[in-house]
Amino acid sequence: MPGNRTPTWAPEEDAGPDDALLTVRAGEGDEEAFAVLVRRHAPALVRLATRLVQDRTEAEDAVQDAFISAWRKLPEFRGQSSFGTWLYRIVTNRCLNILRTRKPQSQLEAASQIPAPEHSVAPDRITEGRAAIVELHDALAGLSAEQRTCWVLRELDEQPYAFIADTVGITEQAVRARVFRARRHLTEALGAWR
Amino acid sequence: MTTRIHPPDTPPPHDPDDERLPCGRLLSQVWADWEEGTADPHRADCADCTSAVAELEQLETAVRRLRDDTENASGYDPAPLTERVMNVVRLELRPGHPLPLGAPDEDMWLMESAAARVLRTAAERVPGVRSGSCRITPEPDRPGRVAISLHILAPTTAPSLPMLADEVRREVGAWADHRLGLEITGIDVHVVGFADEPDDSEKGIAP
Repeated sequence: MPGNRTPTWAPEEDAGPDDALLTVRAGEGDEEAFAVLVRRHAPALVRLATRLVQDRTEAEDAVQDAFISAWRKLPEFRGQSSFGTWLYRIVTNRCLNILRTRKPQSQLEAASQIPAPEHSVAPDRITEGRAAIVELHDALAGLSAEQRTCWVLRELDEQPYAFIADTVGITEQAVRARVFRARRHLTEALGAWR
Repeated sequence: MTTRIHPPDTPPPHDPDDERLPCGRLLSQVWADWEEGTADPHRADCADCTSAVAELEQLETAVRRLRDDTENASGYDPAPLTERVMNVVRLELRPGHPLPLGAPDEDMWLMESAAARVLRTAAERVPGVRSGSCRITPEPDRPGRVAISLHILAPTTAPSLPMLADEVRREVGAWADHRLGLEITGIDVHVVGFADEPDDSEKGIAP
């Protein structure tokens, strides 16, 4: 789409009909068109959900439920937004609910869930890099579900504030305030460890 | 990039998590300026602002590492998840109307969504055409007959849209008749937009 900011979660390969056509077809009951949409959008949505809930299995469940709910709602979907944006919103809000119902996690549990690094870097860089990630990861556990969601969309998914406001359904000013509080908490937490 | 000449003088409704630095600037403002690349000449000479920005930069370094660590979407195999989703979807299909096939007393039916898939493919036999909505509805007054309404995107290179619509109508009519055995009363072709020509770069100049 010329003129639009390319979202960082856009599918990398773009073979086949575009999303708008597939969405219309799926809305008319073409399940094969829907399967193409699922395959195309699943990787970015699982990455988003994993960043939000920090657990791959829970993330995949959230994405799976989001797609099924989208299939049910498709006949009423009038293309107010793109399929990708629509699913991004459904997944984000599902994850937000998961975070809200979660009991406060101990820092030890949180740290144990960080995946091992997949790339090879010099050992001292790994140690230094891992330490920073573990610290940040622990500090994230101290954020509220709402702060954490806005922070992840801004900092890890690199979305514009206006987009986050639309996705979460709050004002842009409220998003900025949540991201600010999250940063405040995180800088203090990281500082305290040093 | 904008430049802040005067200190921001609107004291916002005070956020209890915000902080006024000893120099008078609000921490939230200093960080927002940093994030948005707003230059503030004051900042370069101010130890308070410099240290506030340094804290945020330190956080951003850790954030970049965490982002890279979780940036593995391209390596994700969507097949198992797609399969799980489609297993549920196949239990909740929306096949549309049953469409009559053959003579009225034959009692043979084809579901609309299956027929629509075939007719969309037929329309796309016309070069450059992409098909979207395809509704096939039984004619209430003429038992055994159906009407087709098809939305297409036309290629930008089409010299005449009426001629293009005729071509699409011919392809769709032929497949509806020969392949599906539908008795059709009419085919409405709606050009709802233009399709970007695929593979332009490879084809060079379009004919």
